[in-house]
Amino acid sequence: MMNSVTRKAGFGAVTAFGVILIATNAGTVFAQGGLPEGFKKGELAAEPSAEMIEAGKRVYFTKCVWCHGVDGAGDGPGADRLWPRPRNFNQGTFKIRHTASGELPLFDAKKPVAGQNDLFETVTHGLPGSAMPPWEGILSEEQRLQVLSFVTTQLVKDRKFTDKQSESQTILNLAELKPKAASEESKKRGSELIVEKKCVECHGMEGRGDGNAFNLKDDWGFSIQPANWHKCWNFRGSRQDPYNVSNIFRTFSTGVNGTPMPSFADNTSVDERWDIANFVNSLCERDAEGKPLPIDPLSDKPKINFVIPSDPVEGEIPADIEHEAWQKAPKRYVAMGGQITHKPRNFVNRIDDIWVRSLYNDKHIVYLVEWDDRTKSVAEAKLPWAPTQVNIDIKEQEPKTGEEGSIASNQNKYAVYNDAIAIETAVKWKELPSPIKPRYLFGTNEQFPVDIVKWEADGSVRAFLGTGWDKDFVERDTYEENLKVLKGEWKNGRWYVMIQRPVGNKKDQDYDEDTFFEVGQYIPTVFFAWDGHNGDAGRKMAVSAFYYTFMNPPIPQETYIYPVVIAFGVVLLEGWILTRRANRKKGKTL
Amino acid sequence: MKALMSLGALVGAMGLLLLAGMIFDVVPSNTVRLVEGYMPMQMLIEVACYVAGFTGLSFMLSAMGMPMPRFWQGIGFWLFFMLYLKFRVYPPIPFSVRAMYGTVSMVAVFMWISASEEDWKKFKQPIMNVLDAQTGMNKMMRYLYLVLIPILVGGFSYNAMVPKSEEPVELRTVHPAPPASTKVHGKTYVLQTSQSPYRVNPEGKYDQEYSNANIVEQGMGRLMKPNANPWDDKNQGYLKYVREGGEIFFQNCHFCHGDNLNGRGLHAFAFNPIPANFTDPGTIAQLQETFIFWRVSKGGIGLPNEGFPWASVMPPWEQHLTVDEIWKVILFEYWHTGYYPRTWD
Repeated sequence: MMNSVTRKAGFGAVTAFGVILIATNAGTVFAQGGLPEGFKKGELAAEPSAEMIEAGKRVYFTKCVWCHGVDGAGDGPGADRLWPRPRNFNQGTFKIRHTASGELPLFDAKKPVAGQNDLFETVTHGLPGSAMPPWEGILSEEQRLQVLSFVTTQLVKDRKFTDKQSESQTILNLAELKPKAASEESKKRGSELIVEKKCVECHGMEGRGDGNAFNLKDDWGFSIQPANWHKCWNFRGSRQDPYNVSNIFRTFSTGVNGTPMPSFADNTSVDERWDIANFVNSLCERDAEGKPLPIDPLSDKPKINFVIPSDPVEGEIPADIEHEAWQKAPKRYVAMGGQITHKPRNFVNRIDDIWVRSLYNDKHIVYLVEWDDRTKSVAEAKLPWAPTQVNIDIKEQEPKTGEEGSIASNQNKYAVYNDAIAIETAVKWKELPSPIKPRYLFGTNEQFPVDIVKWEADGSVRAFLGTGWDKDFVERDTYEENLKVLKGEWKNGRWYVMIQRPVGNKKDQDYDEDTFFEVGQYIPTVFFAWDGHNGDAGRKMAVSAFYYTFMNPPIPQETYIYPVVIAFGVVLLEGWILTRRANRKKGKTL
Repeated sequence: MKALMSLGALVGAMGLLLLAGMIFDVVPSNTVRLVEGYMPMQMLIEVACYVAGFTGLSFMLSAMGMPMPRFWQGIGFWLFFMLYLKFRVYPPIPFSVRAMYGTVSMVAVFMWISASEEDWKKFKQPIMNVLDAQTGMNKMMRYLYLVLIPILVGGFSYNAMVPKSEEPVELRTVHPAPPASTKVHGKTYVLQTSQSPYRVNPEGKYDQEYSNANIVEQGMGRLMKPNANPWDDKNQGYLKYVREGGEIFFQNCHFCHGDNLNGRGLHAFAFNPIPANFTDPGTIAQLQETFIFWRVSKGGIGLPNEGFPWASVMPPWEQHLTVDEIWKVILFEYWHTGYYPRTWD
């Protein structure tokens, strides 16, 4: 009944924008007793026992205090270098809940039932994309309930989990709401609804979190960014099950307390919420066949393959991503971490992955690098140090600044530099035995240097030589004319950059300074990335581990011939055995 | 005896179902968690359970009058072992290592089935039957094999020859040999004789017994001793410095080594190999405090030449921390994991 009302409202919305407001307002859906659709009334849980609280204190002061602080104000010693900052428990504001917007989350010290104990699940599964790890397997179930008993009674100070006067529980009845099948129709309706419900204003046209990314603040005044729907493994509420549409449905229904993300329970029907959740879920990165990416249970991120295959093409390498060759080329996930060996160290790393494809022909190899960056940054300020400088003596932010000076409160206030990407490959990698990689970040020494090609958002492309971990780079002006940027485009929160370089040959290039790319060999490759609005410049950047570029050789003819020859040999062998056996039985000897 | 055997059969059947579930992705392979640090023992026990289960199963089958031929027992067990290695063990083992285990287990299975002349005959019998092809069924089988084997062999060799880009296997020196002494912030520390200046009792005297008595307890959660809270303001000596070390750890180290010192920090997923896991009994628990002092101060760049393949991006912390801070961090790491540093005597 309710569904049909809103469905009609939904159809009306598509035909005329003016109708929407009236229709959705008229169709504002309330189930019995003024509750939003899909919700039911719940009871406040009983207060945990004094023993639980006391035991929880011991857990808290062993494990949690380091980030969340002695008073639970989210101001522990680790807090100032984290973004997002650790939760301040005092106000009782918690993000991931089954309860209506503004209400306290579900917590019952006696009942670790899935879907009915929000805080327990947060501690169990952690909050991906933040520094909060999953504590399952580290703390026992009992210990997790104990520490939450301590937090909810002693550290939540402004509200009381058991106070019937001021608190209520309106619970999203997720267990009884069957997910709607993710049909094309449902996803299409979802894609219309996210425009209609203004989701795109913050989350961006493609859902990369690039909409109103800059001006958002949480309840404590710290900068905060809208979720990137393409990285579902970073959803705080993903509960280590990122492709599960129910998580998105829950977050959309209950909102994220303390942030600008509201609850949409009051102005969408359950059916509409499933459509939106299905659409958002469909945006998350998938493999070439459209299946969810395999997630590594140890890191809760996509599994990593360290080989970046490069496919051969005849003639010119196309500069158009839509070209068949690029569409067919395997796309690899490259994980990025903050560079924290050299000053200025990058504790808050905003580029946590890039996607790489590669093609080659007889003269060139092209890398297509794509990565999500909420802001296009082209330098407004002059870099305070030379681009070749590795050892920079710079005063870093103190780790004990308090909230005022912390990274979280100064995020988005940096001087803006260029977004950039660099590809580092080993020179003379052949002289290092196969799995051995050059030493450390910027090459081993003069004898085994690395070749660094860097593209910046102002369109420049430069080449450097790295000759050691703490040696300044050498700028290679003579090599730059060999490099070509086939594409450098920022669109809806994503960079698409195509860099072409020579594969190298003894005639035109220098074996001691250039990487020579050889077909069928593993060439150690590292990626660096900079987010200009994060203050990334110089060595403040994101780094990957060592990957391998592997140029797939065309399949040689022998591959087809030899197996046939071998199979034929086996047939002969079989014949011989059988004859021998038969003769033996007849009493003859061969 | 029979009751025991039927229990074994139950275990075997359930175990097989579980493994089959894992192979077909019905049961997630982390249903029974492999606990870090205890994984080898856990796997041995698991395999032992399976073996007991199989004994029970085959006993029950023959008791029910459907004995399993020795031929299939041998092949079945070997297959089981290979599947177990491939689908149960996480993180996955590279193929080359699995091939090694496969060969060894094949030899073991051969030794088992050829333990006596009679056993060996029993094993050979089905092969001979097919070769001789006395019955119609066996004749069919023989022709089937005649066609299938060349196709399979051809297919495998094609597969082996098609150019592939599998990740090369990387080995790593876990604990490279330390130098005799190390120079940090202009002062030389002899690894054999140096001592942590903060492993002291409330009176300020170096006191290993006192500090060992105040580390966190082993066991689930590794919680602090009830009366040894480093956050107690009245602390003097060891526990006070543990807290200071913890502050430094959570401002510098946890990004890689993780909130629980298990090498699963915020940035850890991007590195290969992932950062060291201090809760593993194979890392700091095996080393002297001064060894850690050297590694922390000099970082990945300070690894000796034989520390191939140089896969560490650990910063030389002497560039970011003072000597005192480094000692305190080490103190905290031992406290938080509940391990004692190894001593020279």
